[in-house]
Amino acid sequence: MADNGRSTGPTSEALISLKGVTKEYQKNGTWIEAVSGCDLDIAENEFLVIVGPTGSGKSTLLKLIAGFEQPDKGEVLLDGEPVKGPGSDRGMIFQEYALLPWRTVLQNVELGLEFQFGKRGKENRELAMTYIDMVGLSYAVNKYPVEMSGGMKRRASLAMILVTKPKILLMDGPFNALDSKTKLTMHTEITRIWEHEHNTIIFVTSELDEAVKLSDRIAVMNSEGRISKIFTNDLARPRFGKAALEPEFHHRFIELREKVMNEVKAGAGKAVCETR
Amino acid sequence: MANKQQSRNGSTQAFLADRSFYVLGVFLFLVIWQAASMLKLFGNDFSEAFSPLSAFLALIEMAKNGDIVHHAVPSLRRVLVSLLLAIIFALPVGVLVGYFRRLEQLTYVPFQFLRMISPLAWMPIAIIMFGVGDVSVTFLLWLVAIWPLILNTVHGAGRVSPLWLNMAKTMGAKDKGILTKIIIPAAIPDMLTGLRLAVGVSWIILVPAEMLGVPDGLGYFILDTRDRFRYDQLMATIFIIGLIGYLLDSANRWLISKFAWKI
Repeated sequence: MADNGRSTGPTSEALISLKGVTKEYQKNGTWIEAVSGCDLDIAENEFLVIVGPTGSGKSTLLKLIAGFEQPDKGEVLLDGEPVKGPGSDRGMIFQEYALLPWRTVLQNVELGLEFQFGKRGKENRELAMTYIDMVGLSYAVNKYPVEMSGGMKRRASLAMILVTKPKILLMDGPFNALDSKTKLTMHTEITRIWEHEHNTIIFVTSELDEAVKLSDRIAVMNSEGRISKIFTNDLARPRFGKAALEPEFHHRFIELREKVMNEVKAGAGKAVCETR
Repeated sequence: MANKQQSRNGSTQAFLADRSFYVLGVFLFLVIWQAASMLKLFGNDFSEAFSPLSAFLALIEMAKNGDIVHHAVPSLRRVLVSLLLAIIFALPVGVLVGYFRRLEQLTYVPFQFLRMISPLAWMPIAIIMFGVGDVSVTFLLWLVAIWPLILNTVHGAGRVSPLWLNMAKTMGAKDKGILTKIIIPAAIPDMLTGLRLAVGVSWIILVPAEMLGVPDGLGYFILDTRDRFRYDQLMATIFIIGLIGYLLDSANRWLISKFAWKI
């Protein structure tokens, strides 16, 4: 329950609701608040991007929503119910690669399908192949993780989660290590998937270009683990290809990015802010 | 001398060079053995019987009269049966202990304590429990084989990345799926390492265990040849013990290369 005296019932149409969420960590013997008193409502089918300096608690916030961590204060509500643990309605794409080293790309992508439907042979394989094609790995279906580069592993992990079609996608810096060409493909694909399957995406990144390109709203976290500001991003979609070359669009893009960057810098403390 | 880095890059020539060094090793081993017997290192009276040549002749004799099969088969049977029983017992125990931290804490001291006791120390107890014979020998071999299997499986199951478990949970995995698709496959390389160690130590303990009143087996035959002053046959038996041990270990290495995933 929120301890700041706000209304307690589930609020209107928010799919995910964070109420006064605080999470503490012990670091060098002292307790610090990684996430501090966060209030946040996320609507269904929203694309929310969380930005902020390194160590501002973005990943922790995501883990709280995923249910890997429990808040020390406040609560995380999903459809009005407190989150008690991980579930298949919330697919998480980790910053590290979660590929199983004894499975090939294809077998890794089939894993989630095996969990949900059992071994279905051809049916699983075809579905898995669709997503492997999408991330551009069809040339490497039979490779093991040990034989792949970082970027390939990243794309495989992505296909692995996307194939399970989670209602909510939690993405922790999913495109960090990708080269710019693959990154652009992935931005287009994730937008297409989101528009197609109407899932809700919560996306953590430290790159502001990416944030402005993808988001409906941008939440900025500061070095104290608080959400300092939420920007509404009303740039027209599509934001790729020809549309992005329009001077008017470009102008507004830069403008929003500047605003977000200033907010991030203001909250950065001594932490480093990555921009491009 | 060809260094490893070069020859691994694998031309046919390098491959043959590697092979020839393995063969050379075997040859040098035989030369040293022969030299030891010619220098009477095994004592003045019997050194000739201990030579590789007499051992080789005894080996042919034993192959012809069926002694090899008669004693090697029961030995292999004992080792394989006890290994099978050890696997059935040790792998589930290892997975459970490796996965549940509390269980590992509970069992740590007892396991580390028990594994340091030579199974031969249990021999009198085995004989009281099971009598003289096959069952006692199998029990002792089982007792020695379970520790490497358990401890390696514990290590493997404990090495399961929390990331994999979290991921499986977000994909809707149930306990059974997590066990069969994450934990067990993750532990397989360590299980195979455990198996290799278990086979090695079982085969070593087999010989003294078979000196405890069974009527056949390679360990028994060692004592038998001694009693008959047939030191050439004794050397031949020692050779067979080494050879079978080597083949068992090779089979294990093959299993590992076939089924252990690499990081």
